[in-house]
Amino acid sequence: MPSKSSFSSLVAGLLVLLVAGCAPWHRAAWTGDKAGNAEGVVAILPLQNLSGGSAPLAELKQEFARRLALRGMAILPEAQLEQFMTRHRLRYVGGIDATTAQALRRETGAQGVLVTQLELYRTPFPPRIALTSRLVTTEDTPRIVRMESVALSGDDAPGLLGVGLVDKPREVTDRALRLLAEALTGGEPQPPPRVSLGSDSVYLARPLDPGRSYRVTVLPFYDKGSHGYAGEILALHFIGELVRQGRFQVVEPGTVREDLLRYRIIMEDGVSLADAELLFGMLSTDLILSGEVNDYQDLQGAQASPKVDFSALLLERSSRRAVWSMGDHRTGMDRVRFFDIGRIATASALATGMVHQAIAESLGR
Amino acid sequence: MPKRWIPPLMTLVVLALAGCAGPAEVFRDPNMDFGALHTVAIMPLANLTRESSAAERVRDVFTTKLLASGALYVIPPGEVARGISRVGISNPVAPSTEELTKVAGVIKADAVITGTVKEYGEVRSGSSAANSISLSFQLLETQTGRVVWSASTTMGGIGITDRLFGGGGEPMNDITERAVNDAIKKLFQ
Repeated sequence: MPSKSSFSSLVAGLLVLLVAGCAPWHRAAWTGDKAGNAEGVVAILPLQNLSGGSAPLAELKQEFARRLALRGMAILPEAQLEQFMTRHRLRYVGGIDATTAQALRRETGAQGVLVTQLELYRTPFPPRIALTSRLVTTEDTPRIVRMESVALSGDDAPGLLGVGLVDKPREVTDRALRLLAEALTGGEPQPPPRVSLGSDSVYLARPLDPGRSYRVTVLPFYDKGSHGYAGEILALHFIGELVRQGRFQVVEPGTVREDLLRYRIIMEDGVSLADAELLFGMLSTDLILSGEVNDYQDLQGAQASPKVDFSALLLERSSRRAVWSMGDHRTGMDRVRFFDIGRIATASALATGMVHQAIAESLGR
Repeated sequence: MPKRWIPPLMTLVVLALAGCAGPAEVFRDPNMDFGALHTVAIMPLANLTRESSAAERVRDVFTTKLLASGALYVIPPGEVARGISRVGISNPVAPSTEELTKVAGVIKADAVITGTVKEYGEVRSGSSAANSISLSFQLLETQTGRVVWSASTTMGGIGITDRLFGGGGEPMNDITERAVNDAIKKLFQ
């Protein structure tokens, strides 16, 4: 039987925990940049569906906006954004070009745009979702301020006798949106999963100048598999990782797309030096990243393991040569040695880990 | 053991060992200065398999691994495609000497690598199945169009464990990497 004093301290401890649990969520306003001097209204664009299947995009956007508002982000009213999109016949929601960004700022006062892509959405067990979102300024030259992604599966942490399995899609979706909203508003981002790349998977001609900031253009990857959107998804993972590294200023993909369309640049077998020359000048960029996706699969089922296989190449403006290259293939079970520990459940998480490992090791500061 | 059995036994051992020797899988031009090669272009590979993407996959792995070896600079595939299109090579997997010289001039390559994917995918024998790959590569010097290096490699296939216990062998990607690494090793040996 516990003594009176130990019992009362236990009760006090429980009360403290209970009160802490009732505390309001931490409200962190969007500050526009790390310096926190450009607080402003953000327009949340409709979600771009890269999952290859149907998904309740409107509901997801609504819930995401609600969570961001709870975190203190000032959001442009939906009706105002819709009017703007109708007026400008804005249909592409996967990025924003300079002209549209300026018009948005001028007409609505929005100082930022949130561009969100749905990479994966599956409701049969185990439910899965993967989202990527980036905050872009509406300055004359749109700038990516923050980019985060989240990928969750109902069987991420099955635990003992499967007590940790989540079978309700709503729970997985809510958690993903909460984590993404937190990461975008000053919270702790999700750490990338650990992936071991092969020792001969990465080539680096010479280390980049550590004291210099590089402007990088990431082109959509060429998808040789059957996914359909894997090229765009891989490009997004690279953009996110480069933004997180801090030393790269990544050109907003909406601007890149606009210029590729305007100059009718079609790259069937990867970027040639002539195309690269044009892009270096047009986008005032130091580096161009392009690549190919051979395999990007999210197989459904409790025991299914995702597969990701891609290669990437970084061309430098000054030397007109490839200065960095990588190519590897991984599956979600590669690091599993014992009872599914180390398993990665989604292709999105696997790609995040692979890209992080490749860039942080060779191109990071 | 009686002494008179030793000579026939020795003969049997020698014959058995000789039977294990494989055919020569590498050709290297002894007059070629391989140190003078700095930049190579890998042409699209010929695909003799039923898997339509096999040649592209192998070329992609070969490009990355050769570049990662740090010994040679590999011209990006997009630039090679531009060279092929500019020269107007009708069959890029088997270019003529003249086409080769022209394309190398356009993309500024010291040498060109061509190759063939002869086998890629699952092979079966009875109730056993396993993945297998068979590749061959040639390095052509661009000034004369001569083949200065040629190698072939085969990996995977049905082993004793596959026959005894099944299992389907190694994953295709692992076998591809091993075969490509083997070919690169033969280039630098």
